[in-house]
Amino acid sequence: MKHRTELLALFTVGLILIGLPVAALGYQHGLRPATTSTRVIDIDARIPENGGFGPDAVRVTAGEPVTLRFASMDVTHGIAIGPGLGVDLGHVDPGTVKEATLTFDEPGTYTYYCTTWCSADHWRMRGTIQVIDPDNPGLVVPAPPDPVIEKLIEEGVDIDAVHGVDQEHRAMLAFERQPSAGQGTALADTLVILMEMTDREWRRSHTPMQAVERLAAHNPRSDEAVLRDVAAYLWTQDASLETLLQAEALYNQSCAACHGQYGSGDGPAADTTAETPVAFADAAYMFEMRSDVLYAKIRRGGMGTGMPNFGTLFTQAETWALVEYLWTLAVSSTADVPE
Amino acid sequence: MLNDGRIDLLARAPLLKRVLKARAFQPVMMLLTLFAFTLAILTGIAGTPAGSRNFGIIFVWIVWWALLIVVLVPFFGRLWCTVCPIPAPGEWLQRRAIVQRRPGKLWTRGLRWPRRLKNMWLQNFGFLGVAVFSTIILTRPSVSAWLLLSFLLVGVVLSALYKNRVFCRYVCPVGGFIGLYSMLSPVELRVADPDVCADHKTKDCITGNEFGYGCPWMVFPGSLTRNAYCGMCMECLKTCPKNNIVLNLRPFGSDLMVAKERRLDEAYKAFIMLGCALLYSAVLLGPWGWLKNWANMDTLPHWLLYAAGFVTFNLAVLPGLFGLVVWLIRRVTRQKRPFPQMFVDYAYTLIPLGLAAWIAFSFGFVLVNGSYALAVLSDPFGWGWDLFGTADTSWTPLGTSLIPFLQVGVLTAGLVFALNTAYKIARQQVVNHRPAFLATLPVAGFAVVVTLSFLRLYLG
Repeated sequence: MKHRTELLALFTVGLILIGLPVAALGYQHGLRPATTSTRVIDIDARIPENGGFGPDAVRVTAGEPVTLRFASMDVTHGIAIGPGLGVDLGHVDPGTVKEATLTFDEPGTYTYYCTTWCSADHWRMRGTIQVIDPDNPGLVVPAPPDPVIEKLIEEGVDIDAVHGVDQEHRAMLAFERQPSAGQGTALADTLVILMEMTDREWRRSHTPMQAVERLAAHNPRSDEAVLRDVAAYLWTQDASLETLLQAEALYNQSCAACHGQYGSGDGPAADTTAETPVAFADAAYMFEMRSDVLYAKIRRGGMGTGMPNFGTLFTQAETWALVEYLWTLAVSSTADVPE
Repeated sequence: MLNDGRIDLLARAPLLKRVLKARAFQPVMMLLTLFAFTLAILTGIAGTPAGSRNFGIIFVWIVWWALLIVVLVPFFGRLWCTVCPIPAPGEWLQRRAIVQRRPGKLWTRGLRWPRRLKNMWLQNFGFLGVAVFSTIILTRPSVSAWLLLSFLLVGVVLSALYKNRVFCRYVCPVGGFIGLYSMLSPVELRVADPDVCADHKTKDCITGNEFGYGCPWMVFPGSLTRNAYCGMCMECLKTCPKNNIVLNLRPFGSDLMVAKERRLDEAYKAFIMLGCALLYSAVLLGPWGWLKNWANMDTLPHWLLYAAGFVTFNLAVLPGLFGLVVWLIRRVTRQKRPFPQMFVDYAYTLIPLGLAAWIAFSFGFVLVNGSYALAVLSDPFGWGWDLFGTADTSWTPLGTSLIPFLQVGVLTAGLVFALNTAYKIARQQVVNHRPAFLATLPVAGFAVVVTLSFLRLYLG
């Protein structure tokens, strides 16, 4: 009896010290993956100063269902996966976990990123999902070239150059009032509008100021401020309200921290960037900008300025919507002309 | 008389005596805690690094800690040491048995523990060593797990080198403060009649017999006057052929009045525990974010400054301030007793104050974070399991409006207890009421300032 008790105790000790680890680890890493069709990938989120995402790169196979589990290790983060997946897990508070189960149909590269201003280096908090072709696992599909950026390069436009006007020039050009798209809408029918200006593609590759100069040539009696109102109308007429609201959400999430909620270049993180963030609300600056250059800067980032690239986060359509939204920050939408 | 005013629980509850005398009692309890302990280490190393989703962090630093400091130590003394799994593997290897009393010598090198280390100093420095890393240990499951594992391994190594539970008695940083605060508890293991032990020739409680081992804590029950070093393993209850062991219910804090056993190492343990409670409260619950960052090792120089300040406060500043208090007592009462002896004596006043502070401090985070326990019970590793259907239990702070009242109540009770202890200690030194009362005043001032500091930190 005594011997049996001792053996039972010894067996229990063995069960605890050996059986428990073997059972737990064996189930998690052997039995569980074998009996479930969805692979689980745990990703820890820390502020970039402490390592960012861990792991910051994962490989999945196209067609393979995968659950990505994000756990915040320090502060509140926001997790989204893009581009074009529409996955936004919202806030992940410290010590909590949120997950998304996805099946990537095509090989390619996606990005999981933080959407909440978690630290000074918040924008660095990104991770890559490499989706591999199951028939050709060694092949890494390169990101397709962006036709807009390609065209700009072909045209010889230096995306990284300081666009618009310098401070001294801008002071001379500073508009006496903000251009009014609302006023421009009312005036458009009374003026000669060149055919090319009604073409969205033309507007995207020209600055509003170029349009104002051409309008002035064909409407010699019109005041330049009036012509700027018309340009403001032309540059803001394309986007629907729904598109602008979606773009506004993206802007608030990704741009406002530096550029300011109203595009004044005075966001709470404006002091942390290498160069002072651009003020989109400065109409004189924006009237010297091209939409396709704004688009390229958003997608590629601004070299040496502290402006990160968003091309791996946003779709091309989302980027264009964002550009449309930037124009609404530069001009007034009301028909009332301020004094 | 030794047992005057005591109630012998073993005489009142024969079933309890049967349970405690059973050889299987302690191993069964240890196996249960060993299971939780192994799981805590395993989850710490292999589970999620998110502390609030990790069994190791939640069950060790919230559930176990709350159980220990709020229930076990104040009401049952060293009961945790009865069931603690840390010394178990070492002790089982020493005995080459888990349940039964195996005849023959213990399996150990049988080295002599250095005489100069036969005190609490190692435990004092060990606790301080762990305490300066506590913010990191409490929040990082892997660090926490390696610490627990290291305790276990040190326990095994020391068992292989030295007889009995040298680790528990002289090394364990937790055992040190449990021993100190167990002196307050209303439960004690003693002998019914010390004369019976004195006359007993074979001293089975030390040598062991066929029913049990000699005291692993190296204590002679016949001369036991305090709880500090009795691990309540109940071996003496099994071995005593004279049926002379009793488990008493007694007034709180009886051991504090045992003047001849007071020592400087224990006095310093009281300072360290009180100082750590104060500093933890400031770091973890206070409004100073920078201090928390320093403790969390945001940069090495910051942490070094924090650690230096932490150690200096506990070993020099707090004892130094208390030294001034004792100097004042000597001035007021014109006593001729040596200063060091008075310093040690009055330091025991801080034991109830310190325990109350730890309980109040623990209320601050245990009730707030206790609900995490349900989630990690179902998903101990944070791997997305749901063993008992509670994995999705959301964080729900409990009794947040009650916490300040509990803290004020406990701290006030601790203060009153401390003042009463100070007066009783004074009466041991000066017979008359008036000088004893005067001697109490400086200590009372110190205790009031300390209590107010805690209240300031907790209530803002």
